[in-house]
Amino acid sequence: MATHHANAVLPDEPEKATLEGKNKILGFWLFLGGETVLFGSLFATFIALRDQANGGPTAQELFDMPIVAWSTFILLTSSMTSVMAVLALHKKNLKQLQAWMTVTVLLGLAFLCLEIYEFNHYVHLGHTIASSAFGSAFYTLVGFHGGHVAFGIAWITTLILQSLKKGLTVVTAPKFYVAALYWHFIDVVWVFIFTVVYLMGMIGGKVG
Amino acid sequence: MSAHASHAPKRSGLWDWLTTVDHKKIAILYLVAGGIFFLAGGIEALLIRLQLMYPESNVIGAKTFNEMITMHGTTMIFLAAMPIIFALMNAVVPLQIGARDVAFPFVNALGFWLFFFGGVLINTSWFLGGAPDAGWTSYPTLALNQYSGIGVDFYVLGLQIAGLGTLIGGINFLVTIINMRAPGMTFMRMPLFTWTSFVTSGLILFAFPAITVGLVLLMFDRLFGGNFFNPDAGGNIIIFEHLFWIFGHPEVYILILPCFGIISEVVSTFSKKRLFGYSSMVFATALIGFLGFMVWAHHMFTTGLGPVANTLFGLATMLIAVPTGIKIFNWLFTMWGGQIRFNVPNLWAVGFIPTFTIGGMTGVMLSVPSADYQYHDSYFVVAHFHYVIVGGVVFGLFAGLYYWWPKMFGKMLNETLGKWNFWTFFIGFHLTFFPLHFLGLMGMPRRVYTFLHGQGLDLGNFISTIGSFGMTIGTILFLINVVVTANSKQKAPADPWDGRTLEWAIPSPPPEYNFAQTPLVRGLDALWVEKMAGNKGYVPAEPLGSIHMPSPSIIPFVMSVGLFIAAYGFMFHQYVLAGIGLAITFGSMLARSLKDDHGYHIDPEEIEEKGVKA
Amino acid sequence: MGAGTHNEEVRKPKTEHGGVKRHLVAFIGSLVLTALAFIAVGFEAVPQGFVAPFIVALAFVQALFQLFVWMHMDQKGHEFARISIFAGLFFILAAIIVFVYWVWV
Repeated sequence: MATHHANAVLPDEPEKATLEGKNKILGFWLFLGGETVLFGSLFATFIALRDQANGGPTAQELFDMPIVAWSTFILLTSSMTSVMAVLALHKKNLKQLQAWMTVTVLLGLAFLCLEIYEFNHYVHLGHTIASSAFGSAFYTLVGFHGGHVAFGIAWITTLILQSLKKGLTVVTAPKFYVAALYWHFIDVVWVFIFTVVYLMGMIGGKVG
Repeated sequence: MSAHASHAPKRSGLWDWLTTVDHKKIAILYLVAGGIFFLAGGIEALLIRLQLMYPESNVIGAKTFNEMITMHGTTMIFLAAMPIIFALMNAVVPLQIGARDVAFPFVNALGFWLFFFGGVLINTSWFLGGAPDAGWTSYPTLALNQYSGIGVDFYVLGLQIAGLGTLIGGINFLVTIINMRAPGMTFMRMPLFTWTSFVTSGLILFAFPAITVGLVLLMFDRLFGGNFFNPDAGGNIIIFEHLFWIFGHPEVYILILPCFGIISEVVSTFSKKRLFGYSSMVFATALIGFLGFMVWAHHMFTTGLGPVANTLFGLATMLIAVPTGIKIFNWLFTMWGGQIRFNVPNLWAVGFIPTFTIGGMTGVMLSVPSADYQYHDSYFVVAHFHYVIVGGVVFGLFAGLYYWWPKMFGKMLNETLGKWNFWTFFIGFHLTFFPLHFLGLMGMPRRVYTFLHGQGLDLGNFISTIGSFGMTIGTILFLINVVVTANSKQKAPADPWDGRTLEWAIPSPPPEYNFAQTPLVRGLDALWVEKMAGNKGYVPAEPLGSIHMPSPSIIPFVMSVGLFIAAYGFMFHQYVLAGIGLAITFGSMLARSLKDDHGYHIDPEEIEEKGVKA
Repeated sequence: MGAGTHNEEVRKPKTEHGGVKRHLVAFIGSLVLTALAFIAVGFEAVPQGFVAPFIVALAFVQALFQLFVWMHMDQKGHEFARISIFAGLFFILAAIIVFVYWVWV
């Protein structure tokens, strides 16, 4: 089987065994630096507009701790399972890699479902992207993050399916590694979202 | 597993250009597209100056005037200057570092096509309801639906697409320069053009996301009922200004730093002298890049941020003059005592130095917040930025084009025509923009389509318009030069200028693979080191072997078309169309991911003196 | 827990993974930091004025945990990764400070 044969001659840390692999990893880290500025700008905008509810429901009235806690726990766990996937990559164990990545994707889907349910609830309470400046800022920031989660799910799923045919090689390894970096990054962004948007909203005070 | 073709797939004509991933061809694509947009921007400028030639004139009406100033600025900055900069970066940087291509050839092509379709999108607005007319800075509330037409949607969507192209281009050059330098080329042995390209790419990486967010927020307000900038629902327009200028200020350093690099290369080559103060040049470049992110609110002194903010940003702005001054002095010291030849590239470089310095000086004048309350939104500002952007960026790009034309095209641009081009453009430039300082000091505001008799503004405006005719003639002479050169039968040598850096060690134009063997770099000014050691060319770092090349692909073109279509879908609220466009783009990404591209090989036998035909 | 271990790891650049352990430690650490933040707000365990800076600080610590441990940012070969993230953070923090103080008069 091509997979088994590829594993036998696969170098250690296969994701950086080729120049292409190294380039992809470096390029992706640089991209994450740019994404830091992107999300940071959305955070800055949110912070400036957080109190502008235009007479509609405010953060205090909307946010519900259990949902946020579950979402956070699910996403954090999915980040951990993607770590396990990369460890499997380094042990050159394709089956384990696929398994852990599948769990990651399923957890990601659970996160998204919870978020869609949450947004739907808010819309019924009158909090929409068009209802106030706070609404616009909230849905753009949290929605962009959700969009990134959705893209990540599609990406990792595609990689898992590809690996069924192509196995683990010096070409497919960097793809998994980079996808894991991406997944960790969106969890790091979520850490700031639950802190700055939800928790700080539930204190009900302005920054500083 | 797909077997890879052992020979270059034979492609020719249009298909070759649509599918190329070769950085040298992509450079030419950027140059041609950027050049065409430059002409469009130039015509827009000419119409502006014609309208302002006489008081109370009506050559073009007020509405068209607003479209002209918006499109002139947007086109020149995003669709002309940046692409031509990318053209030179693509043509030269891989050669200067001894590499065979950039890190991500496919992404390189994608960057070009995204820019191209973004630029075309913006320009179709002329025919589809009116061009954007809220200024190149497109501030809300003027840019919101209530106060402007559909043109602003073209601006918002077109720039997002083009901006994405620029961002990925920046990442590409960062990885290329970090990971793909030839053995022996440490960071402190890189040529200055590569250094400035490196810092510029870092600026692009961190600045473009900010404007992307600003444009997205504006798009949400215009298309989806958002309230970011709607004060009635709690929005705040200052947010847009901050986001725009957090991008906008680094953007002008993105424009000028590569040109600083060009000047360093040209001045040292044509003085036959190593660049004075290399380390301080590198340090100054990095410092300018860093400080460039700390000064953005100097575009907002009059918005009511208060004295503390104004002071901090004013001081930081003045500080940038220091590393810039270091550069100017280093160029002068390089020329001092050198054997100076005034070929056309050096004419442009020597014309750049005093002109840019004047622009820098007025910049320091503007950096004083209390003084800026008088200058802001007057023609004084217009004079300042044209001195640095035209006198700096455009002069620098002309210098780079004349310098590297033989390397890109295998022919030298005509010297005589070049001298006429330089002098008419140079004199025309000063005639156009010097009077604007005084018009501003006399109180003429920006962005007005006319002025009244008896305000004392007649003579300045008249002279300025005459000057613009001079710049027009200069530009036409350049075009004539390009055509004459294309038709001539000359072949440029590998090293027409007795150069100091690695790009002059390979044929003009280079073979597809650039270097038959990766060079070994033994010092700063890598080629000069070899020349002084008595070698004929570079020292190879590896034996002759099979060269691996990336395969061409139509996917970058298709992906860009997809976004182009989706943009129309969004702006006209045809969401099925938008969905189709996005499906084309994402589908192409999927296709790219699924199909392994192993490239192809060029065997040593095919590597002759003249190189392999593409 | 958090600060000490990560400093040590920065000084000894690794080229190999020590296995699951450090990652599990980072996971537990992240859970604890998260729980602390939720408790601080939910049970009003921290006085009003201090809550916001407290939970933001917790968030930064957790982010650093994940960047350095899970994303191997502390290892050799990640110099430009560090520069990229820290530069991005620095520029945007400057912007955020301006937004906080100089958007609303």
